[in-house]
Amino acid sequence: MVDQLFLINSLLQLASGIVALSVSFTAFRYMKLVENDILRFLSFGFMLLGIGLIFGASLMLLLSFNIGRIAEDLELVYVATVSYLILQALAYFSFAVGYARGAYGNVKEEMTSTLFIAPTMALPRLPRSYLLLGTHINAALQLLILILLAFVIFQGALIYSRSKHMFSLLVLSGFSLIFVAHLIMLASSLFPSAQLFTAGAVVQFGGFLSLLVFLLNSGRVHAASKNP
Amino acid sequence: MQPQKTRSRIRIYYDILLSVMEEGNAKPTRVLYKANLSYDRLVKYLDELISKGLLQEMHASDSRYYVITQQGVKFLEEVRKAEAFLSGFGLSL
Repeated sequence: MVDQLFLINSLLQLASGIVALSVSFTAFRYMKLVENDILRFLSFGFMLLGIGLIFGASLMLLLSFNIGRIAEDLELVYVATVSYLILQALAYFSFAVGYARGAYGNVKEEMTSTLFIAPTMALPRLPRSYLLLGTHINAALQLLILILLAFVIFQGALIYSRSKHMFSLLVLSGFSLIFVAHLIMLASSLFPSAQLFTAGAVVQFGGFLSLLVFLLNSGRVHAASKNP
Repeated sequence: MQPQKTRSRIRIYYDILLSVMEEGNAKPTRVLYKANLSYDRLVKYLDELISKGLLQEMHASDSRYYVITQQGVKFLEEVRKAEAFLSGFGLSL
């Protein structure tokens, strides 16, 4: 059962990671075309997010099939999980900086590490010390991510309230669902439950699906159509 | 109320190319009017667009006009898509 949930989680994360990398590539392409610096932050953020998600998904796949007995190499699993969370935290920090620059001009860039952790509770063979540390770091990173995402959502809501445009609504929905997903994942690390973590992964995938719809629709506009 | 932002270079390219495309064979005065530019700036941007292969200058009897190239149409489409993408994040050209 746990193995199946692991597999579902990893596939959902893999799909989410691919969407994130697609958004990153598109932002990078347009950044070069329109010379907009804020797109650099978005591109960088989505790239980190995509790498983090794919990295996390690969780790879960390895754990699902216990390839190379990775579950027994506790240090490797721990380092990989924390790296994965930090990558995601940096990604959301990059979005927050991008949105802040868009809204308020230049914002001092501080490097803060954030974010979320793969479910250490799903590794029954981990010793207690790893579990405790992992859970604490997981919860702390999740909280940091939630704060960053709350800022991103706040800016997104302001943008939508001004423009009332479908594209900004899709982006707002995407980030909002990802926010809810991280809330669920935080709960899953405080009250260990593989089902709860899977629910978080499903909601997170919903968020990336919303971003995918935005990406596809924004690529379909016609040259002679009027401004959005 | 948001302060009026100055148009970026890409935005001006877009406005010129769109006005030329809508006109078909566009005379400079029409482009000047539709793209809302001074004559000096129009000449500068027209030269840039021609050198990039996005516009073509044509001559007929004693007048000259501009037509958009295939590359120009493609550029317009890309900028339009970029603008749609930017709008999702509350950004503009």
